[in-house]
Amino acid sequence: MALEIPKVSYSGKIKEIVLGKGDKALTVGGETSYPFYLFEGQMPLKPRIAMEVYDSPPEDWAPTALEPFADVASDPVAWARKCIDTYGAEMIALQLVSTDPNGENRSAEEAAALTKKVAEAVDVPLIVWGCNNAEKDTEVLKKIAEDCAGRSLMIGPVTEANYKQVGAVAIGYEHTVIASTPIDINLAKQLNILLGNLGVPDGRILIDPTTGALGYGLEYGYSVMERIRMAALTQEDERLQFPMICNLGKEVWKTKEAKQSRDEAPKLGDPAKRGVLMEAITAQLVLAAGADILIMRHPESIALIQDMLNDLLAA
Amino acid sequence: MSKIICSAAIRGAHNIVDKAEQKYQEVLDKWGPDHPVGFPNTAYYLPIIYGILGVPVSKLGDVRPVLEKCRSLLPPLVSEKVWLPYLAPTLEAGMATFFAEEIIEAIRYLEYPDFYTKQEDPIGGNIWLGAADDIILRKRGVEFVDGTAPGFAAILGAPPTKEIAAEIAKELQEKNLYVFMCAENNGVRMSEQLVEAGVQIGWPTRLVSFGPDYTATVFAMGFATRAAMSFGGIKPGDFRGNLLYNKNRIFAFAMPLGPVSDEWYANAAGAINWGFPVIADTPIPEILPTGICTYEHVVSNVPHSEIVQRAVEVRGLKVTVSKIDIPVSYGPAFEGERIRKDDLYLECGGGKTKGVELTVSRDLDEVEDGHVEMIGPDLDQIKDGSKLPFAMLIEVAGRQMQEDFEPILERQIHHLVNYAEGIMHIGQRAIMWLRVGKAAVEKGFRLKHLGTIIHAKYHQEFGAICDKVQVKIYTEEAKVDEVLALARKVYEARDKRVDRMTDETEETFYSCTLCQSFAPSHVCIITPERTGMCGAYNWLDGKASYEINPTGPNQPIVKGECIDPVLGKWKGTDEFIFKASRQKFQTASAYSLVHDPMTACGCFECIATILPLCNGVMIVNRDYLGMTPCGMKFTTLAGMVGGGEVTPGFLGVSKHYIASRKFLLAEGGLKRVVWMPQMLKKELEAKLKSRGEELGIPNLFDIIADDTKGTTEEEILPFLEEAGHPALTMESIL
Amino acid sequence: MALSGIEIFKKLPKTNCGECGVPTCLAFAMKLATGQAELSACPYVSDEVRAEIDEASAPPIRTLTIGTGDRAVKLGGETVMFRHEKRFENPPGLALMLSDTMDDSVVNEKLSKFKDLEFERVGLILRPQMLALKEESGDAGKFAAFVKRVIDQIDAGIILMSDKPEVMAEALKICKDKKPLIYAATKDTAEAMGNLAKEAACPLAVKGSGLDEVMAITDKLMGMGLKDLVIDSQPVNVKKALEDQVGIRRSALVKKVKQLGFPTITFPGQLTDSKMKEALIASLLIAKYAGIIVLSEMEGHNVFPLLLDSLNIYTDPQRPMAVEEKVYEIGGPREDSPVLITSNFSLTYFIVSGEVESSRVPAWLLIKDTEGLSVLTAWAAGKFAADTVAMFVKKSGIADRVKHRKLVIPGYLAGMSGELEEELPDWQILVGPREAAHLPAYLKQWSA
Repeated sequence: MALEIPKVSYSGKIKEIVLGKGDKALTVGGETSYPFYLFEGQMPLKPRIAMEVYDSPPEDWAPTALEPFADVASDPVAWARKCIDTYGAEMIALQLVSTDPNGENRSAEEAAALTKKVAEAVDVPLIVWGCNNAEKDTEVLKKIAEDCAGRSLMIGPVTEANYKQVGAVAIGYEHTVIASTPIDINLAKQLNILLGNLGVPDGRILIDPTTGALGYGLEYGYSVMERIRMAALTQEDERLQFPMICNLGKEVWKTKEAKQSRDEAPKLGDPAKRGVLMEAITAQLVLAAGADILIMRHPESIALIQDMLNDLLAA
Repeated sequence: MSKIICSAAIRGAHNIVDKAEQKYQEVLDKWGPDHPVGFPNTAYYLPIIYGILGVPVSKLGDVRPVLEKCRSLLPPLVSEKVWLPYLAPTLEAGMATFFAEEIIEAIRYLEYPDFYTKQEDPIGGNIWLGAADDIILRKRGVEFVDGTAPGFAAILGAPPTKEIAAEIAKELQEKNLYVFMCAENNGVRMSEQLVEAGVQIGWPTRLVSFGPDYTATVFAMGFATRAAMSFGGIKPGDFRGNLLYNKNRIFAFAMPLGPVSDEWYANAAGAINWGFPVIADTPIPEILPTGICTYEHVVSNVPHSEIVQRAVEVRGLKVTVSKIDIPVSYGPAFEGERIRKDDLYLECGGGKTKGVELTVSRDLDEVEDGHVEMIGPDLDQIKDGSKLPFAMLIEVAGRQMQEDFEPILERQIHHLVNYAEGIMHIGQRAIMWLRVGKAAVEKGFRLKHLGTIIHAKYHQEFGAICDKVQVKIYTEEAKVDEVLALARKVYEARDKRVDRMTDETEETFYSCTLCQSFAPSHVCIITPERTGMCGAYNWLDGKASYEINPTGPNQPIVKGECIDPVLGKWKGTDEFIFKASRQKFQTASAYSLVHDPMTACGCFECIATILPLCNGVMIVNRDYLGMTPCGMKFTTLAGMVGGGEVTPGFLGVSKHYIASRKFLLAEGGLKRVVWMPQMLKKELEAKLKSRGEELGIPNLFDIIADDTKGTTEEEILPFLEEAGHPALTMESIL
Repeated sequence: MALSGIEIFKKLPKTNCGECGVPTCLAFAMKLATGQAELSACPYVSDEVRAEIDEASAPPIRTLTIGTGDRAVKLGGETVMFRHEKRFENPPGLALMLSDTMDDSVVNEKLSKFKDLEFERVGLILRPQMLALKEESGDAGKFAAFVKRVIDQIDAGIILMSDKPEVMAEALKICKDKKPLIYAATKDTAEAMGNLAKEAACPLAVKGSGLDEVMAITDKLMGMGLKDLVIDSQPVNVKKALEDQVGIRRSALVKKVKQLGFPTITFPGQLTDSKMKEALIASLLIAKYAGIIVLSEMEGHNVFPLLLDSLNIYTDPQRPMAVEEKVYEIGGPREDSPVLITSNFSLTYFIVSGEVESSRVPAWLLIKDTEGLSVLTAWAAGKFAADTVAMFVKKSGIADRVKHRKLVIPGYLAGMSGELEEELPDWQILVGPREAAHLPAYLKQWSA
């Protein structure tokens, strides 16, 4: 008698969301099973990885993370091009850290001008991520949405505090919103309901469940993602049937252990390999929990994940 | 619906359609059917025709079928003898009016290409802007979606003077509304009045001079119709969707200023289709709620000084207050500051003087929003170190306001006032205590600013239920006494109301899933007689929370058919639990700790569990740190029963629920309780005693053991036996 | 399904004798139901009841121990598919593979590195616990000598790897007291290996290609009376490895397939030649149910992230991790450096200390014991109340280490600032930002 593995019966399906437009547009979502459980369902579309580009020269980065971009670190356009031309990036994520009012506090106009330049320089889908200050992000993302009308950007984080304003411009200027909630399935669902009520079409919503780095609270996001996927696929929770995005690169690379040199942490092995593995393992875990889009930093960790994705999704 | 209005509107519609047909024939003869026609720079053709009928008009030949449609929509003229004109035909006449007016305006673009400026601002002497192009639509439409501009006032005609015009415009601007202007009143136009008064007009100031004639009304309506297609995903031709989108989301209204002609009536009838009511300054007949608009349809004879406020009320527009205008800092960082004796400038209440705070609901017309009145001396009129009697009477009104919400709003006073720098607030109701520090007074803080705070924060945080807020602050003894007397009456009525409410009398319960973040399958059912186990949410809180945040963690549950009145099970609650626990639990009892008890989150105030030897129940509260007769301390118990799991024999309960008539009904109620910590017993003494009386066991309070009697079952059993505790002779609890 | 506390209670003697170490039978029953006590602690329960309760409360995945003493590795005992459903019980054992064909010097170097791989985190010691000793020489004597050399040098959970029962027998003579895992019984050697395991009273791994073959072998071994088994399904690729792990766990939990109710052993190194990728496969196996993960290489840079992975995934979601209550020095604070206080929820600690570190403003971070609750929850539960906070501040000795008297409290607890000032009259209470992310900006403008 051959063993029959008990199968989960999936009644839901993740919505398919088109990212970007034109030849290089990508589609994510469409799953009808838990991540990579191909023995009992479909995962027709591969999770995608966006490479990070920063709007201001990185400070205090681990040498291994900076090295690949050292020559382009002060030119976001060149940086984005290098990601695509040299590292084959299938997507770019522009991190607008310099708009933070607690930091450089660059204006919405500057951010929009830069975003436009980057958007014009790349043909792959572009994610634009604010500084996590709801008020400032509102201002910045509104301006960007307006100035980049019709470019189908992914803009976020869109939170309960600014969903109306950012949601409205996303509708008006045809962008996709990244609905961001603090590690809570019910809040995630609620924000999706609110965005729907506002009029944001289902084809233009991504869930950001909030991602912590390996060793820094990763497990919270991990379980919330598993619960969101479970609710979406087996409990007909329609307002959770959206692809999930994890902005993990910056979380991982800001941890102490990703940055420490060999002298500072002699027991932690090769600093370059350690950083890459910390990022790749974080990515691998959120993929296992249901991520559809990853925002990552290091070309080597990205290559490792691509390799794993090919293995896990092999026909 | 008023016969006068219907007759006039239908007459007006006939006139306008006639005019459109006549113009159309002229241009058709001149240019032929293939000549292009339309509004500039838009993908929405003639937007009302496109949105409502789904017909894209792009050349003159496309117009004919639309005119035919107008004709078919037009009801016959109303004769004096026939008493038949009702809502539906009038509304259709209004629709025909807009189609015809769009055609008239489109022909104007054809005949006089430079009649309108076709941009956001006036050019030179030409102030008429005409239809908004798609760029303007997108930019401005976003504001309608995100609420920065909740809607617009479509003004026809003009008020008597340019000063009044400027005043009305300013008031509308202050409410963040767009002002769409057209038509003349005796040769006077509001747009022109504003220019004369030196007011800057154009899209950037939200004072939009669409056109000189009443037909320019369609630019306003076309804007709304396009917004529904562009932002609401409404398909062309989905007229129902389009009209509903506008009714529910665009807070617009028509405001005819001056005598209302037949043609104006026709336009007003059209606007009502979109759910936009009419607020007039002339004595035309009124149409009260009939189902198309949210509230009233036509309100008339409103004085110019009140017209904006009235319009806002009739359309149900929410006031937004973005800034709290007080001279001290305001924010959560100041919530916990203490004002010490040396820094004290004024002290009220707290047993030192009489003090009371009261929030009551009133009718809409009894409250003037933003009105703050100070009766008696304020801080600048008293000496440092003074004490004053104090009463704050907050009167709120709102379409969704209910008397039940009064205590919930009232409870907020404490933290709202505390957020102000240099102000300390403790307590509530008639035991409130207020201290104002010297530094705050130096910065210019006055007692009346408390009113400013309450007004702003009630709107910000409870906008869903508060439309209007006014505050009266009294520091005169006699007045304070009056408010106190009123407050006592209100408190008594409130307490009675809560007392009378039972799980049988209410059909709707509320859920609480706030704790699912850490207890994934936890679902608390809150009924009038069973507060949430955390003690923080009673049934009214659940109800108010739902009104304020309809997608939040407190959802209404229609209890439905009762499955078991003793266990406390209903069809509706079981269905809800199944869904909200994400299919983990099928059922839960509201009144039992043995049979399908409710899940426990972790925030419960107390835990109840069985004591098998005593055949009873013990209850331990979170603050009691000692050992209990069940052999576990509170923390151990909490670790075993939390996390959203069901643990038969263990139940999280609030303190309030212990004295409820529904407390553990299935196990025999309060009579089962054999042990509580003394501190908990004392806290609930009055309630427990009165419940004992009710149960016919007047000494019940005294025969419940506590930690002074023992902390093991063996220790308390003799006490219970001696006292003849009823649990000992009840049916076995297992 | 497992019995509830009340159901177990009904079967107990109800004497409240306390001999089990718990004051009442009810409390003991609750502990049994939540897996915090063993039924054997009750001397009075009848054999019949014992069998009944054991049967009902035995987890569907066998709990077993490899090794002895300090480095004993407990595996299995799992009851759920997803950690949020309850928790994952026993983190996988990470094992380093060593071969008897390796040079002594290589082995010694690897062992000394292995000993070094020990990290402290949230009061726990994280380290790999196992060594997989593989016979590749074909020489029983050589293998036995190799095993002896290793166990003389180091105390770890041992996995003996050889397909040859006769080789295994020799090795077992050396180290069966250490309760090693015998790897592995195949369909051809099941009986011989089974007998060895039985004699030595050691756990035995089963190697079969695919779950059907595995089940046939475990079935046979169970028939021989063996209980402590470990499964290797020999997947051919990563995709299959995931499928097998899910299949085993799910069959055991959902379908109660007894032949699969055992922890697993996995070899990510068999699926790739890249050490980096091997680590990545291991990271996935940690999350997806592996019992033992054997690695071909252990360096700080791969072991540390994998240990974090395991720590994260195996954290009890309902029981927050806590860090030690004390004064933490960040960036070498001086007597004029800011003093901050927060709860001992590990995530709070990591995030706050991380932000303080990245601000580059040296600071004193006071971590108060809140039983692992986050700031707001702790406050609501009375575990971060002004009086206890004040008590902690006083006894922490921070007053002797700084000149100023300014204490920064979390922004969300602004409400307690007044009360705290009353409890700590010498101190000025400052309300910090609500979000840790705003700490760098806050600290940069802070002055004593």
